Amino acid sequence: MSLPLALFDMSHVPTLMIVGFALFAGTVGARVFQRLRIPQVVGYIAIGLLLGRSGLGLLGEETIARLLPFSFFALGVIGFMIGGELHREVFRRFGRQFFTILLAEGISAFLLVGALVTVLAYLWTGNLASALALGLVLGAISSATAPAATVDVLWEYKTRGILTTTVFAIVALDDGLALVLYSISSTIAMQLLGAESDLLSALGGAGYELGGAIVVGSAGGWLLYALMKWARARDKVLVFILGTLALVLGAALMLELDLILAAMVLGATISNLAPRRTNEAFQIVEQFAPPIYVLFFVFVGARLSIGNMSGWMWAIAFAYVGGRTGGKFLGSYLGARWAHAGETVRKYLGLCLFSQAGVAIGLAILAAERFGAAGSELSQTMAGVILTVVTATTFLVQVIGPPCVKFAVQKAGEVGLNITEEDLARSYTVESVMDATPPAFLERTTLAEILRTIADSDAMAYPVTDAEDHLVGVITIRDLKTSFTAEHLTHWLLAHDLMQPATDTITPDVPLPEALLRLREKGLEFLIVVSKDEHPRLRGLLELHGAERLLSREVVRRRQLADAQVA
Amino acid sequence: MKLSDYLTSDRVVVLRGTSKTDALRELAEIVSRGNGLDAAKVERAIWERERLMSTGIGNGLAIPHVRLAGLSAPRIAVGVAPAGIADYDSLDGQPVCILVLILAPQGQHDTHIRLLARVADVLKHPQQARTIVAAQDPQLIYQILVGESA
Repeated sequence: MSLPLALFDMSHVPTLMIVGFALFAGTVGARVFQRLRIPQVVGYIAIGLLLGRSGLGLLGEETIARLLPFSFFALGVIGFMIGGELHREVFRRFGRQFFTILLAEGISAFLLVGALVTVLAYLWTGNLASALALGLVLGAISSATAPAATVDVLWEYKTRGILTTTVFAIVALDDGLALVLYSISSTIAMQLLGAESDLLSALGGAGYELGGAIVVGSAGGWLLYALMKWARARDKVLVFILGTLALVLGAALMLELDLILAAMVLGATISNLAPRRTNEAFQIVEQFAPPIYVLFFVFVGARLSIGNMSGWMWAIAFAYVGGRTGGKFLGSYLGARWAHAGETVRKYLGLCLFSQAGVAIGLAILAAERFGAAGSELSQTMAGVILTVVTATTFLVQVIGPPCVKFAVQKAGEVGLNITEEDLARSYTVESVMDATPPAFLERTTLAEILRTIADSDAMAYPVTDAEDHLVGVITIRDLKTSFTAEHLTHWLLAHDLMQPATDTITPDVPLPEALLRLREKGLEFLIVVSKDEHPRLRGLLELHGAERLLSREVVRRRQLADAQVA
Repeated sequence: MKLSDYLTSDRVVVLRGTSKTDALRELAEIVSRGNGLDAAKVERAIWERERLMSTGIGNGLAIPHVRLAGLSAPRIAVGVAPAGIADYDSLDGQPVCILVLILAPQGQHDTHIRLLARVADVLKHPQQARTIVAAQDPQLIYQILVGESA
């Protein structure tokens, strides 16, 4: 329900303007939430909520409907990226573990939500059959976990390790389980409400939706594999990826298949067919994806409607959230124990499975349509309850879900282990990586002493200072080469005679990416780090190759740390 | 590398002064002559280097040297002090009899070092140094130096 603040009729505003506005607003929201140490995805959704049906009403239903293809595409990109994380080798090693955990967490949520909702609904209506029907449907819907918001947190915090790997696998498989549970539950529920329903055809429908998505996604993967063999240029690869993704998504929509599963299978197929070649492809999409995520989550927030709920509905909504949270947590703990998963998975996986969005809302709409069509007044009421409760709880779990994921991966020690050198550089200043005690010479140091020092050093440059530690120049290896022609001068030629003016200096507080850019753009091998004083004092030396080596070593160390957990 | 490229006969003198200060001032004036250089500035630069370590390298030879911004090409001036400059504080403690002042442009690091090496090479034999000191005549000294380095 929109507030009476909807001053503008957005239906005439060009779509591109809405996209631009949502991008800016979403990013601002994310920044605010990041400052509060809350994952950015909550910020996007909150901005969507503010602009959407439950807030100012600027992004109305018509506008959102206009942008629906965009949301599908965004969901496809997210699915594709998740698929890229699903490696055959991991499934070969952990497949049984994943399936055990999946069944345990999904069925636990289903049972707990089902039981709690049934009891509350019975207390409310006094009708056991309809209460059980509602419990079954909401229980089935509660088993779904939204991959998008969950993995956005994993990407934001650059996580890597066994918990991250397990989360990727579980959220990828979760939709399938939810669809099967829903097919069975909704059929039984319809029968409980007196409507005719056929379990076999319902299961067949779920099978078609899942199986079809797998077939379409795989076919798309093979097509993309063939195209990528032929196309090598970066821009062509991006076009082919997005083109194939759009084709797969379009086919899934046309054939009424599970959209995100089709995209995941596409990603998984291509990443398993040509792991090395596609690694770059996923990096290209990753760079291209952030604005898509921003818009997707802003629109998720805009679609949520949480007004107009009665006390009973709120009670059912809280029972749903409580049962789902408890079920996911307990189920993943027990599942991980039964599957002999590691301690971090046992303790923290449950916290990563709270998010709920597209699939749950989709199933709720489907259930509402079926119950509404059943005709009786009771089934009409149930239809309204299902849709309202799932929408309201989606808002709740989308707000609490991402911070829980963040907490879990932090506790598991997996934050920052999946970073690139560029990511790492962004977290550093010059001071973090400079050599704070570089071999340096006083002006009066003789060439003989200099040669002795450089014999034990692999530095490319040697700062020269006066007696007060003020920087007066620099000697490079190239300068020293000339001095080899003057070997008989070694005892009276001084650093002062050999040095060049130190023009390329930097202060320790400069962000490392800025320093690296300066080094690369000017073709420099080093920058001398000096204090900010009027007469700068030597603080250290930043060598390009040294900094690159350090970043590379740290990235490898973090990845090895993460991989050791998986091993 | 030929010394004649950087040394002219009018920049070879028999020094009047017998102290380090006088000798360096005289050489700074000679090397700056007709070149628009500020002799006082050259002298200051020479002393800046001397304060770090004496350029009297022993065997009666001193090679004061500086690199200067704004100089277009290296320049050399030679001064001979037959009586010796006792206060030069040379590395072997002996008086200095031959001073070769080398000025190099700030950016010509290679040339500067090569010139230093060349001068030291030409004058490394004591006999050669003695011949120059004994010559007393600037023109003759110039010929000896240029001839040796040709």
